[in-house]
Amino acid sequence: MAVFTRTTKKLILRIDEFFDNVELGVLVFREGIKAYIEKDMEAYNRHLHKVDSLESNADKLQRTIENDMITHSILPQNRAEVVTLIDRMDEIIDTIKRSLNEFLIEMPEIPEELNKDLINLTEASANAAEELIPAARAYFKAPYTVREKLLKVYYFEGEADKLSLYTKKKIFQEVKGIDLAHKAHLRYIVHHIENISDLAQKAADLLSGMAIKIVM
Amino acid sequence: MILFFLTSGLFLGWSLGANDASNVFGSAVGSKMVSFRKAAIIASIFVILGAVIQGAGGAQTLGKLGAVNAIGGSFTLALAAGVTVYLMTKLSLPVSTTQAIVGAIIGWNLFTGNRTDPGTLTKIIATWISGPVLGALFAILLFMLVTMIRKKSKIHLIRFESFIKTGLLIVGAFGAYSLGANNIANVMGVFVPAFNLQPLDLGLFTLTSEQQLFLLGGIAIAAGIITYSKKVMETVGANIVDLSPDAAMVVVLAQSVVLFVFSSSVLSDAFVRIGLPSIPLVPVSSSQIIVGCVIGIGLYKGIRNINFKLLGQIGLGWLATPLIAGIMTYFSLFFIKNIFGIDVGHKVTGPATGTIPVPLSPDPEVSEMIRYILIGVIALSIIAGVIYYIIDHRKQTELKASEERFWKNMK
Repeated sequence: MAVFTRTTKKLILRIDEFFDNVELGVLVFREGIKAYIEKDMEAYNRHLHKVDSLESNADKLQRTIENDMITHSILPQNRAEVVTLIDRMDEIIDTIKRSLNEFLIEMPEIPEELNKDLINLTEASANAAEELIPAARAYFKAPYTVREKLLKVYYFEGEADKLSLYTKKKIFQEVKGIDLAHKAHLRYIVHHIENISDLAQKAADLLSGMAIKIVM
Repeated sequence: MILFFLTSGLFLGWSLGANDASNVFGSAVGSKMVSFRKAAIIASIFVILGAVIQGAGGAQTLGKLGAVNAIGGSFTLALAAGVTVYLMTKLSLPVSTTQAIVGAIIGWNLFTGNRTDPGTLTKIIATWISGPVLGALFAILLFMLVTMIRKKSKIHLIRFESFIKTGLLIVGAFGAYSLGANNIANVMGVFVPAFNLQPLDLGLFTLTSEQQLFLLGGIAIAAGIITYSKKVMETVGANIVDLSPDAAMVVVLAQSVVLFVFSSSVLSDAFVRIGLPSIPLVPVSSSQIIVGCVIGIGLYKGIRNINFKLLGQIGLGWLATPLIAGIMTYFSLFFIKNIFGIDVGHKVTGPATGTIPVPLSPDPEVSEMIRYILIGVIALSIIAGVIYYIIDHRKQTELKASEERFWKNMK
């Protein structure tokens, strides 16, 4: 009986720790991109190292959570969805790690007039992912409040979309003195940043359905 | 020969276990909150306890409906009822053993020319209606309470489900106990007047003749649960309305309370003491009550959730069960009496209804045989329990070791 063992308590702690990892990962992503734009490579490397350990821990937690839920037959009716949600949230931190690594490998040269736009885009994209965490936590404690919390995710995702479009237009139509290959590279960088909010939206869509199901 | 006659009652008990255990643990197993193996073990133990400790009340009421006064008659009507329940179970329809046995007793009354007591029949049929209604009411009230507690406490979903899982096991055990207490009368009630066994001293307690029969019946129910109830358990509940684990627990609790109410002489006496009318101690249909409970939850959640087609099929089964059992009993009695020349009972003259025939004097040989059977079955169950525990423990240890190996390799 799960209630008489530590399994339940351990699993709850693991899920909380997983959310903490993703939340910190998003925070580090925001700071990492800012550091790169400000050309503070020492800080950038520190952030990259941090995100690396967060991602590895999140992966381990994800496997343990999945394992525990199956072995102890926890949430049999909602297990598949909870596992998918955790997988989608893990994808966010995976993508953060991959993006920051690609920045380091490709070292894109960012024209100064794009600094502010890219920082704004990073803010919006990170905010979308950040707002997902309280909603995901609420699913377990107060499922009635999940949908209102998700509104912020959708808002910031929309903002990120607009900023991404604006920045891409600016890259191709306003920024002078860089060749097409450089422009294409910058567009690719914009995609990387915007991608985080898209992943947050995907997880939010799933979470929204899960919340309705559990409240009904 | 006398023990052979008992086999039809045991078959009926087996059918009841195969079919009605699904009412107690069906929603828990169907929603995968409790494994079938765990459910079967708990249900088996508690159904036997309920039958032996609290099974007498319902048996007396059935005796009043028709006091079967020959063991050949008891054998035939229990067999007819058992075959009816088996056939319905084969079709995966949750049927009522109570209705089958009542139909069979009426069939016996018709065949032997005995009068069916309208008062007792009305009392039994009234509980068939009030049972599901009470079940629905209890289910709605309990579900509202659980939902309110959940909303107010903001308990973590995993912890809540963990409580529900434990609750399902406890409530399931209570349900199985109530099922045994209430429905053992269906299985062994018709044999009680024909058997008079010597008391069985088991050291800690002594079993009367009636309790020994109920213990045998309880073991037959347990055998039905273990061998044949899995399919029905996996289909019940989820097929009528999509049940969440908390609703599943509420349904089983409401059903158990109703079964307990209709089989507790202590509660009935307490009602009388405070000036209220006594509660009729009648074997009620757990299948009907569970459907009432599920409909209660369905109504609370919004009527569109209910599978009315399946409910219609179940309703048809309710009408068909007593009818089929009655007709089958009538014709079986005809064959048994005229072809095999076995006494199946006779018309009781004088103030017939309500009298239970005087039991035969204790037969030491039969008592001895039953004593050995019971002791053998109890010993076998203990051995099986120990083997199960060892296998399960080994499986858990292997799983733990495999997990540890996995994480060691990951590092």
